[in-house]
This record gives sequence, C-alpha cells and structure tokens, in this order.
Amino acid sequence: MKKFRLYLDKDTEQDWLMKMSKEGWAFSKFVLGVYTFVPCEPGQYIYQIDLLDNWVGDKKDFAEFMEDSGIEVVSQWYRWVFLRKKAAEGPFDLYTDTESKIAQYSRVRKFFSIGLLVEIVCFFVELNSAVRTGDFSLWLITFLLGFIVLAFLRMVWKCRWKIEQLQRGR
Amino acid sequence: MPLTEALYYILVAVGRPNHGYGIIQEVSEITNGRVVLGPGTLYGAINSMLSKEWIRLYSEDKTSRKKKEYKITEKGKKIFDEEVKRLKELLNNAGKMGEDL
Repeated sequence: MKKFRLYLDKDTEQDWLMKMSKEGWAFSKFVLGVYTFVPCEPGQYIYQIDLLDNWVGDKKDFAEFMEDSGIEVVSQWYRWVFLRKKAAEGPFDLYTDTESKIAQYSRVRKFFSIGLLVEIVCFFVELNSAVRTGDFSLWLITFLLGFIVLAFLRMVWKCRWKIEQLQRGR
Repeated sequence: MPLTEALYYILVAVGRPNHGYGIIQEVSEITNGRVVLGPGTLYGAINSMLSKEWIRLYSEDKTSRKKKEYKITEKGKKIFDEEVKRLKELLNNAGKMGEDL
C-alpha cells in the first residue's frame, strides 16, 4: 500500500508511522512524500526518525552502528533516517538523556533555519518578478513560497519551544 | 564540567575493548537497568569522545564485518579519574551534613 503525505514535523510523522504499525501496516520506504507500507502483525514495529549531522560521512557510519545495535535502517532520505525495532525486543528510544535530546532538536532547528533563509530569498525574488510582470503563474509561485516560509518558520519555533521545555526540565 | 551520566558509564564500559551494543548492555547490567542508553545518545557520545580523543577505535575488521570496538585512551582515563575524585568528594561531604532535622 502507498500513501502520500507531506510532513515537516518528525514527531507527528513518527506518531503516524506508529499508528499505521498498530493497524498492521509496516512502513518500508519513503520517496518524495510517498510512503510504502507492507502488512505486518499489529504493533510489530516501533519507529523512530532522526536527522543526521552531515550526509556525506555520517550516512554509512550511522547505519552500520544502528544495525550493529540491533536496529533496522528502513529508509534514508537526504539527511533524514527512518529506523525501526521489533516491539517484542523491548522499548526503543533513540535519545535517552536531556543533552542528546536537545542536540537532536538543535540539528532539526538548524536544518529548518537554513531552509527558511533560502525560501525567504526565493520568496522575494518571485514576489519581485510577479509585481513587475503581473503574471498569474508567478503570483501563484510567490503565494506557494510564502506558505512554505510560514511552515518552516513554524518548525523553527516548534523546535525552539521543545528545546526550552527540555532545558527547563533539566 | 561534571561528566553526564551517559558519558561516565560509557567510559566505564570501554575500560576494556567494547562495541556499541556491548556498551548498552554492560551499562544496563551494572546499573540494574536504571541507565539504558538510547542508540542515538550512544552514537553521538562516541563520536564526540572520539574527536576529543577520550576513546579510540580499537579494532575494525573490514573483511569479516566485525563490529567496531572502542577503548578508553590515557586522556580519557585522566578525565575519568578527575570525575571519580569529584564524586568521592561529594560522597565524603555527605557525612558532614548537620542533623538538626
């Protein structure tokens, strides 16, 4: 079964994959928003999503490390990694202390901050040409970029909020 | 800076050569399951300690696809001993608390 979804927030994405697993659908592949699922026993797998520091050196090293620790690397997309473990083998939390949880959300925040800057530049370039030409399709692209800017901004704020929560609980 | 619990116990576990999963298991055993390191936490800690040269890669057998093993370095041992000294001081001073309650 294939499903199309656009997620920015890895936590809600993770919750969705867990819900699918509970309903007997094991996530097995991700390409450009298309999630592939295969049947499994309800609740067979626990899923976790992570963002790597850099995608050149880390990718292979990280995957090997996880597999050595009994965790399956299901799918990789750019710097994002989808991991799972059989629920029967016990709990599965990638990050177990405050320091490493903060480090993870800091990576995610940086990822969206850079994306946000790029999108803001694109937005103003498109806005400029849209105003100049009055072309409908350029306005459409500008509108779309504006939407992406807001969505990324929301993610940066969300990460900042999570980091603050973690720091307060320390 | 005091060591985090994760760093402290990883250093204990690499006193002799140990691999990722072995570290998780050993730490869980010696703390009676109180400290169970998440693999992401361990991966980040190992990389940071490798770059600080507190631990080193002990073996990497590429032919038989053997797991990477890590071992504490002289520098790591010194950091660890400093921390133990600090912890001992904490414990010793526990007895100095007045008992007015």
